[in-house]
Amino acid sequence: MLNRLKTIKIGKKIKLHMIKTDKFKTNLVSVYFQRPLVKEEVTKNALLSMVLPRGTKSYISSKEISKALEGLYGAFIGCDVAKKGERNIIQFRMQLVNDKYVEDKEVFIKGMQILNEFIHDPYLVDGCFKKDYVDQEKENLIKKIEGRKNDKMKYSYERCIEEMCKNENYSLYEYGSIEDLKNISNESLYEHYKKIIHSTPIDICVVGDFDEKEMESLIAKKLNFKQEGVISVEREKIECIPDDVKIIEDEMDINQGKLNLGYRTNIPFESELYYPLLVYSNIFGGGPNSKLFKNVREKESLCYYIFSRVEKFKSLMLIGSGIEFNNYDKTVSLIKQQMEEMNSGNFSNEDIESAKNSIITSIRSMTDSPYMLADFYFSQAISNNEDTLDEMIKKIRTVDKEQIITAGKSIKLDTIYFLKGKGEVR
Amino acid sequence: MTIKQIESKLLKEKMVLKELQNGLKIFFMPKEGYTKQYAIFATNYGSNDSKFIVPGESEVTKVTDGIAHFLEHKLFEEAEGNIFDKFAELGSNVNAYTNFTSTCYLFSSTDRFYENLELLVKFVQSPYFTDENVEKEKGIIGQEIKMYDDNPNWKVFFNALKAMYHNHPVKIDIAGTIESISKITKEDLYKCYNTFYDPSNMIIFVIGDVDENKVFSIIEKNQKKEEKVEKKIERIYPDEPDTVVQNIIEEQLDVSIPLFNIAFKDTNNGLNGRALLDKDISTKILLDMLFGKSSDLYTSLYEEGLINDTFENEYTGEIDYGYSMLGGESKNPKKVLDKVLEYIENMKNKGLSREDFERIKKKHIGQHLSYYNSVEFVATTFVAYHFKNINIFDYIEALKNIKFETIQDRFKEHFNAKRCILSIISPKTFE
Repeated sequence: MLNRLKTIKIGKKIKLHMIKTDKFKTNLVSVYFQRPLVKEEVTKNALLSMVLPRGTKSYISSKEISKALEGLYGAFIGCDVAKKGERNIIQFRMQLVNDKYVEDKEVFIKGMQILNEFIHDPYLVDGCFKKDYVDQEKENLIKKIEGRKNDKMKYSYERCIEEMCKNENYSLYEYGSIEDLKNISNESLYEHYKKIIHSTPIDICVVGDFDEKEMESLIAKKLNFKQEGVISVEREKIECIPDDVKIIEDEMDINQGKLNLGYRTNIPFESELYYPLLVYSNIFGGGPNSKLFKNVREKESLCYYIFSRVEKFKSLMLIGSGIEFNNYDKTVSLIKQQMEEMNSGNFSNEDIESAKNSIITSIRSMTDSPYMLADFYFSQAISNNEDTLDEMIKKIRTVDKEQIITAGKSIKLDTIYFLKGKGEVR
Repeated sequence: MTIKQIESKLLKEKMVLKELQNGLKIFFMPKEGYTKQYAIFATNYGSNDSKFIVPGESEVTKVTDGIAHFLEHKLFEEAEGNIFDKFAELGSNVNAYTNFTSTCYLFSSTDRFYENLELLVKFVQSPYFTDENVEKEKGIIGQEIKMYDDNPNWKVFFNALKAMYHNHPVKIDIAGTIESISKITKEDLYKCYNTFYDPSNMIIFVIGDVDENKVFSIIEKNQKKEEKVEKKIERIYPDEPDTVVQNIIEEQLDVSIPLFNIAFKDTNNGLNGRALLDKDISTKILLDMLFGKSSDLYTSLYEEGLINDTFENEYTGEIDYGYSMLGGESKNPKKVLDKVLEYIENMKNKGLSREDFERIKKKHIGQHLSYYNSVEFVATTFVAYHFKNINIFDYIEALKNIKFETIQDRFKEHFNAKRCILSIISPKTFE
């Protein structure tokens, strides 16, 4: 691996992860704020991620910011929220073209100034966010939350999780809820901002070609973090043996039914069984040679897409597929039957090898994308995992059939979610 | 057999082109330090090629809608099952896609690259269609079509094409319809395959930290055809008037807020190579100057709540057709259209700003450079441009040399309200 990782602490709870490589045309700086995923905060965090890009002290409007970024050879800056288990992540990302390709040799330094203002110096009017900006972004956020249903595949997947984890924070949508949004004022949002900006554990990932010593002092100098009373985010609970299977149906005016099956794996990411679980999921529904693809799609022509995914931090496994409304029973029983096959060990050594190779290819492929590299090292940081990529690959290599079957035994079906057409019978 | 070295000092990248005896062109681009290898085997044959004369025949062949895409699905079948298993053993990701102008087969790997490459080269040259395996695919592609039917972004885009084009096949859905694919037979597939999957109509693009000579020798060793066929495929595209079919097209789907596309139809078609590249670049710069995040229009539409951050612009410039497109979500797409047209008129009177031009040009230079981080992007973009007789290495140099005057001329010529359409997908109203 060409990528050198160096992690240093630059504050009480600020970690700087430097991934040095000269193969990219750009430098990327990702700043991750870790908050707990809780109802009181999730909507505010989402709104904040939309208000901060509206203006800073020196660039008081989106237009001014955009002009500055265009002048820096199309530097990209983005702020967004994400859900990693029951952690609510607010992330800032800045990607800049590397100075060596352009005439301007100060692209990076100028970029860092903008990024710092983005985080620490928002545009204020009378000591508060500009009211117009907050009102407009509240409107946009309502549209965004309402707009969830437009992407049926993603929507049904998220709805399945929502129903599954009804009484857990993991069911919260990362963009929050319209109801909670109504109660957020310009002032309360700014109060929230002031509270979290200093009290949040932060990870910064830098990917690109730079001198590490210089980068360290540059980041410390340019990004003015001051921390006090920093919170700790708790590890989510994951054990759950469902009493019985919940069956949930929604209706929409659509052409194709969306089927999702949600399972509790009961395998935390710290467990020795975590990698066997990944292999299990890959043999089951990973790619075009998986059991689900071969049997549900190729043999029975029931669907075009079918997949199995593991939600690492919450220990869930989800199956998703798009089918005819009246093929519901047939598809569900096929999926269950294939799972039986898995759990009885009816898969070959070739299947195991292929699945391992496929997972390893995905892991190794991450090293060619700055964004994925940054996200990977951040994920490692929040799961207190010190494994390097090579060590991960070694662990995957040693997974054996018995472990895969053992992992399968603790996977329990929790919820079947079906999005069907209006008035259709499944 | 010819070999050509191509280098870009601006990008600090190079590639090698080798043309084989049978007419196949192979491009290899080394990417030092990259873990991933990526190869793409592409034919200059897409959903637009639905009417043609098979070399050696005199009759015109008209095929059913969706056949190029159907063929793409079926090429994965082998006499002994499908090719997925073999790629899976190697742990690589194999895939394919069909668009209007090309069909591409590809894989990405991080290990055992040469075995993967051999597999790719072989399977694309070995069609195996039977009545049974053709029949089986109809259900699968039927579900693919239904998936797209529920996708509002796809629908709003295709309706825009339908509103713009009277006759051109670009208005026809790439996958066809459930009805049109029901008619497909293995004989149809073989006919299309034999016509368009000739090495002289195809290219292979390889990118990664691998050995050039090995890449070439594997591909050469696995050629089924030795000699170049000197007969051309005649593709027949209908006459397309400059006018649009209708200015507004609207459909209802189960969405929460209207989605819209505003498009301007191109009229100066028939360019390729450098002339097309200049048109491509100048239109893209222009779109950002007029409608990008730093433009006055974007700001006022955004502040009024008429658009949100989904508002984007793009230009598609093919040899025989082209269009600019703006789109996103809006509570009032018609009002957005009025404002866009009004703004264009004002700008025509006021004139474009040279300062904006220089700044947006800088943005495009940086953006283009950053695309080279991604081997997938380079490979897929390379193929798309190659079939327009453009080498993407020329992009950055053409971009640096583009003149403000070229942009001004393009502005006057391209944005014409008469050739503008609005496509809307609005929420369903339930009685």
